[in-house]
Amino acid sequence: MDLPETRDSQTLSYEQAGPTAVRMLLGARLRKLREAAEVSREDAAQAIRGSESKISRLELGRLGFKPRDVSDLLDLYRVSEDERATLLTMAGHANTPGWWQPYGDAVPAWFSPYLGLEQAAETIRTYEVQFVPGLLQTPGYARAVLAIGADDNPGPDTEQQVDLRIRRQQLLYRPSPPRLWAVIDEAVLRRLIGDPSVARAQLAHLIEMAQLSHISIQVAPFSGGSRAAADGPVTLLRFPEAELPDVIYLEQHTTAVYLSKPAERLYYRNVLNRLVTEALPSADTEAILRQILREI
Amino acid sequence: MDSDVPSVKIDTTVPVSARIWNYWLGGKDYYPVDKEAGDQFAQLYPGIFDEARASRYFIARVVRYLAEEAGIRQFLDIGTGLPSHDNTHEIAQRVAPDSKIVYVDNDPLVLAHARALLTSNAAGSTDYVDADLNDPQALLRIARGKLDFSRPVAILLMGILAHIGNPEVDDDRAVQSIMATLKAALPSGGYLAIYDSSDVDPGLNDALHKYNESGADPYRVRRPDQIARYFDGLELVEPGVVPIQQWRPDHDPFDPPKNLTNLGGVARKP
Repeated sequence: MDLPETRDSQTLSYEQAGPTAVRMLLGARLRKLREAAEVSREDAAQAIRGSESKISRLELGRLGFKPRDVSDLLDLYRVSEDERATLLTMAGHANTPGWWQPYGDAVPAWFSPYLGLEQAAETIRTYEVQFVPGLLQTPGYARAVLAIGADDNPGPDTEQQVDLRIRRQQLLYRPSPPRLWAVIDEAVLRRLIGDPSVARAQLAHLIEMAQLSHISIQVAPFSGGSRAAADGPVTLLRFPEAELPDVIYLEQHTTAVYLSKPAERLYYRNVLNRLVTEALPSADTEAILRQILREI
Repeated sequence: MDSDVPSVKIDTTVPVSARIWNYWLGGKDYYPVDKEAGDQFAQLYPGIFDEARASRYFIARVVRYLAEEAGIRQFLDIGTGLPSHDNTHEIAQRVAPDSKIVYVDNDPLVLAHARALLTSNAAGSTDYVDADLNDPQALLRIARGKLDFSRPVAILLMGILAHIGNPEVDDDRAVQSIMATLKAALPSGGYLAIYDSSDVDPGLNDALHKYNESGADPYRVRRPDQIARYFDGLELVEPGVVPIQQWRPDHDPFDPPKNLTNLGGVARKP
């Protein structure tokens, strides 16, 4: 699957960025289906009254999808009814602007594909070494974290970014929420971000969230394995469709990388697997959080 | 709360059964070494993909039967494997939301996945036991702390018994002795559900022979009569020990069942 490196994301206009993720997944799937059906780009182009280059751009997720085009291609590729329904739904989503569009500049171009993918995920596996994962932050904690990025001088965007982060968390309260499986380094829990009342509220919030059956939080203790020290934060998104590969998301301060090569996916999936087997089981998490809460 | 964190290492150089099954079932949690072993296996025994799917359907029908018709609310699922579609607790809790499921495995990766992903709805519960079926007394000791053995319990052994013992050496005495321990622990009105591969297909036997030489935890198939003996002393539910796709099938009866090697059954302790 071709996901954009930074270079590509610059070519996407901001308005396009919302549905980008879905487009890329749908495009990659259409390419696989075309190849499996042994249909050339030329023949596919003819079926949708377009050019070969249009097929290429569709398959790279760089163009919007017309439902009629998708439907014609699926006919040509002889796709099963089940998958047809899924892909046509995706095509619908691929044209809907993301809910975060009104947040404007608070959403950097490199971040919006992640927002789309996160909404589509069935399982979100994440490892954090510096901060509480965004999906589990309280507004106060988010504000304190964002203030660090802004050199302790919250810019005009800060409140919008806090809003965005909290709005993102709504996916955890959907009727069929994704599963969130987080490993948090002990350092994250012990480092004071903001004043003690912010830290206490954040820890209490984690205790509460960890009760939810679709949320699993494991702590990687200082005393635990060496794995935790060797890798930076990483997020793996898994989609319900068997055909769609996992996406690995690595966030840096001013950009993000979406890894798509099988070897890269494998490497980071193994990192996460080692982390979850070396970290303390989730049943221990509440006691650890309460202990730290007492010590603050 | 179990705080002992054993030193664990995920071996990505040797195929692991739970991960190969994940590959055969179309999952996304296997490693290249597992895919390689799974493909090699399928070359000698192409039916394995059908077997894998049929085994999931069998588990689903068995759990539904136990929850719906037998009224079972406590399940001890030994040999959990990596999460799949329709896991035991999901099927049971769809019928009876208050069902309690205890998953048992000894693979740290499987246990980590189970703890995070095989979680219960609010009315019922799921729990996890890190234990080895080779020591059934220890396994039962932990399970007794999580399930009420004075009331009916169903013990599920789905495709795991062939990982135990070596029938060529001891005529299957090791597994029969484990079964005796488990059956003795089963309360009256409790159930035992099993499926495992039998040695009736030369292609499968060849594929397994090769697999067992790969350094993986060996899987040794039994004769059909050895599998039937696992249920000795219990009352078999209709239709008895049969190829799993014939066990209370719920789809098109005109669809001719494929010739699979897996035998399975469900029995009640009187």
